[in-house]
Amino acid sequence: MTARETEGVLVTIDGKEVRAPEGELLIKTAEDNGTYIPRFCWHPRLKEVGMCRMCLVDIETPGGSMMVTACTNPISDGMVVDTKNDRVKKAQEAILEYLLINHPLDCPVCDRGGECPLQDQTMSYGPGETRFVEEKRHFEKPIPISDLVLLDRERCILCARCTRFADEVPGDPLIEFKERGYGTQISIFPNQPFSSYFSGNTVQICPVGALTATPYRFRARPWDLKAVESTCPHCTAGDRISIEASQNQVLRFLGVDVDATNRGWLSDKCRFGFEYLNSEDRLTNPLARQEGGTYEEVSWGEATSIIAQRFGAIREAHGGDALAVLGGAHGTNEDAYALSVFARDVLGTKNIDCRMDDALGTRLLTGIDRRARISDVDTAGTIIVWGPDLKEEHPTLYLRVRHAVQELGANLIVIHPRATGLDDRADLKITYRPGSGSDLLTQLRGGDRDDVNALLEASPVVAFVGRTGYTEGPTMAEAVASWILELEDSRVLPLARRANVFGALDMGVAPDLEPGRIAATETGRDTRQILGGLASGDIRGLLLVGADPVRDVPDGSLATSGLSGAEFVVAIDMFHNDSTAHADVILPALGFSEKEGTVTNIEGRVQKVNRIAPGSGQSRSDWSIIADIATALGSDLGWTSEQEINDAMMARVPAYAEASWDALDWEERDGVVVPAPGADVPVYRPEMTTQPTVGAELVLHSARKLYDDGVMMRKGPSLHRLAPGGFAHLHPDDARRLGARTGSAVRLVTKRGEAELPVQVDPSLHRGVVYVPFNQPGVGPLGDDPVVRVTAVGEPD
Amino acid sequence: MGSEPITLTIRPAESGKKWSDESLERARRIMARYPEKRSAVMPLLYLAMAEDGRLTNGGMEQVAELVGITPAQVLAVASFYTMYKRERTGKYLISACTSISCMLTGGDDVFEAIELESGVPHGETDEEGLISVEHVECIGACGGAPAVQVNYELIEGVTPVKARELVRWLQQERPATINTDEMQRHFGGRRSFDWAVAEEASAVGPYPAFQPFGTVGGVGEGE
Ligand code: SF4
Ligand code: SF4
Ligand code: FES
Repeated sequence: MTARETEGVLVTIDGKEVRAPEGELLIKTAEDNGTYIPRFCWHPRLKEVGMCRMCLVDIETPGGSMMVTACTNPISDGMVVDTKNDRVKKAQEAILEYLLINHPLDCPVCDRGGECPLQDQTMSYGPGETRFVEEKRHFEKPIPISDLVLLDRERCILCARCTRFADEVPGDPLIEFKERGYGTQISIFPNQPFSSYFSGNTVQICPVGALTATPYRFRARPWDLKAVESTCPHCTAGDRISIEASQNQVLRFLGVDVDATNRGWLSDKCRFGFEYLNSEDRLTNPLARQEGGTYEEVSWGEATSIIAQRFGAIREAHGGDALAVLGGAHGTNEDAYALSVFARDVLGTKNIDCRMDDALGTRLLTGIDRRARISDVDTAGTIIVWGPDLKEEHPTLYLRVRHAVQELGANLIVIHPRATGLDDRADLKITYRPGSGSDLLTQLRGGDRDDVNALLEASPVVAFVGRTGYTEGPTMAEAVASWILELEDSRVLPLARRANVFGALDMGVAPDLEPGRIAATETGRDTRQILGGLASGDIRGLLLVGADPVRDVPDGSLATSGLSGAEFVVAIDMFHNDSTAHADVILPALGFSEKEGTVTNIEGRVQKVNRIAPGSGQSRSDWSIIADIATALGSDLGWTSEQEINDAMMARVPAYAEASWDALDWEERDGVVVPAPGADVPVYRPEMTTQPTVGAELVLHSARKLYDDGVMMRKGPSLHRLAPGGFAHLHPDDARRLGARTGSAVRLVTKRGEAELPVQVDPSLHRGVVYVPFNQPGVGPLGDDPVVRVTAVGEPD
Repeated sequence: MGSEPITLTIRPAESGKKWSDESLERARRIMARYPEKRSAVMPLLYLAMAEDGRLTNGGMEQVAELVGITPAQVLAVASFYTMYKRERTGKYLISACTSISCMLTGGDDVFEAIELESGVPHGETDEEGLISVEHVECIGACGGAPAVQVNYELIEGVTPVKARELVRWLQQERPATINTDEMQRHFGGRRSFDWAVAEEASAVGPYPAFQPFGTVGGVGEGE
């Protein structure tokens, strides 16, 4: 290789010689080497357009010097650049004067004021005064372009960041320039809002205050905000965010650009999913249920002693296994470790599970050796998604896969019972009926599908594997993972959704795992068995930690009967929910942004979460509540801080030996991926099994949407109203046969529930499948059995 | 501002009516000429205009669906070009060019004659909905300036006197078909070259005469 290939080409910027890869954009080379070239339209994660001309610089050419836009010009060997001479200064002044001709300068009432690139660059590079004395152009302001985003066209500088983002990143080009010419403006199509799941990113990257977000508008000024970096609490991708708060209230989340995870982007659920933290419905005091069912506030001391006394009595009379613990997937690793130790060593029970019967096997989630990293999709030859719709359940992973396919040329195979967000980018989309996945898998495995075989020739293969919906059991995903691992040069990323479920499993909040992904010597009961045990009386006492099984367990009626059958239930939570309604004692918990600790993402990346707000009332961390209950039960666990638990955790869990708080310094690195190299972690091989085909005429497909009726959504007004509501989606043929049409009603009866729902005819469905979004406002649980009977309600036509 | 969230929900509109089978078939043939479907947006927008007499939201939605882009992207294209009429025009849209070549050869006088004879000022339509008048930028007929279009069918070498005759002819004869050759014969002067082919469909509304767009009825429509 020549020096040019290894070290890059030589460029002189303002007299300083630097080397950088040939073809890199000049604006980037300059910035990486300490020279900031002002810009508005260029964004490192979007394609360059050269729209704003703010980045003009002088380069020397054989024909004399020439002004070029640094954001569109790739560097070449021997290039000589001047970014500061008089000509450049004059150009910068002219551009700013031009941009300000029609700019309203309503900074005092503008959300961007104080963190506005237009303000800042006008101060640094602007002419100081304008020659323009005429009346400015006026537009009605602001106009809504979606439920979450408002547009002020007077402030817009037409940089096309928002439109490029919408088109290039999520693939939702619902905003565009219209009336190009003097009247150029950003616009939606009449009555078609910018209802992208990712719309909030445009507010973050708009270089002026033209786009503002309704949940933040007029709430704070940037100089009043404190900020701390943290890890997004909404899905398992572990996206980096900046939490910004004022007067002890969290006011916004911003995406932070970390290459390992979200690259700066967030879904709107992540970005605006902070409102619940400030909800007036937060629990503030320990509550104890009185005779007659009402709750009274009690002190922490009283609450702890009631719990110790009741749990102690059950343990004494019936043994530790008459107690069970559910939850723990929303907290930190430190909370989870405390919970796991408490359950095993203090309560003496093996019945502990952080999954809500909606996930995969613990060994599949934690134990395969060829587990993919998120960044593996960037180098994948073929990506397979056989699991949930990533756009609905793992939005930033959706963006990553989309990018890999669209920009990096990976093949994409999507396998799901209906349309998914990635279909428009898929080389191959296969739909199938839940309950007949094994038939399909047998075909694929047998090499019977030439289209699949051809795509699989491009390796490495990276597969996202999970349950496509709740009527498909976890063993199906095991079989899929097993098939993928049979392929050469393949990796699997098993999917699960509650934010820290991977950390909680690593800490042993699982019936079959001890801390450190070690198989438990004796397996306890999983969530389903715990709920069954509570209903039958085998299990008497239950501790819920940030868990709402009534809402979250697919078989909600099982959860309800379990909780009603329990003798004594304790709930540690931030809110009253459908499950805490069965609790005898409710303890107020600190939430995200109110505690410090570590969390583990889907690929095993351990990152910090940090504290910025005090939390509501007397709320406390899960671990400290647990430690107090332990003490009251006569076992002093000896912890006085999260940091001490982290030390204990590192000592006991070999995979986490390197994940100390000090090592998670964000200036330097993107967290620590566990297991640590060389750590002794047993390897799990998923099993190839065949599921019997479900022969029913119609089968149910039940899967989540991004916005649903979960308690964190309900307590955040901006997002909850975006939940689409309950519908029964029917294939046109099935709808015709049943005499149903879009808007008419059908009655669904499953083994575990029933519902009457409006119909949506959905040609994307596989024939014979009825799709009902899970946990939508006003729809009760239908359970996880695929067999469903559907009848039209009302007048058939 | 109180702390109440701003509540606003824009509901998607009912999608517009579908085009006639004939138009859809025509759209299909137009799209077949391009390696990328979306390249057909502009000719399809003329079809949309023909379908509804102007460019409606429903028409733009239909085009978006056909070529596989979003309506917002179609609007971005449509709103740039003044020849896509989003407001209803009269049965006859008279466009007089006042760009430089036509201006130098008397285009302004031609335009004024049209305004006076019809009583319709620039950008407006008469009460009856018969005639709309506009002055436009270059319509690509500099060789035959001054130029006028009726429903985008071209007449070259027009004089103010002929322009008045043209207006009266439209008012009195109300031709069912607007045809460039016929108008050229009666109201035109020197012609640069043959512009278009005869077509019946152009009478339904503003409609392009340019054969390569494939929007010309029946003629030259190879696959
Ligand atoms: S966008 Fe920036 S310069 Fe414009 S009004 Fe807002 S703060 Fe001021
Ligand atoms: S709204 Fe903002 S991001 Fe969009 S074009 Fe205008 S200035 Fe740029
Ligand atoms: S940053 Fe280069 S033209 Fe806008």
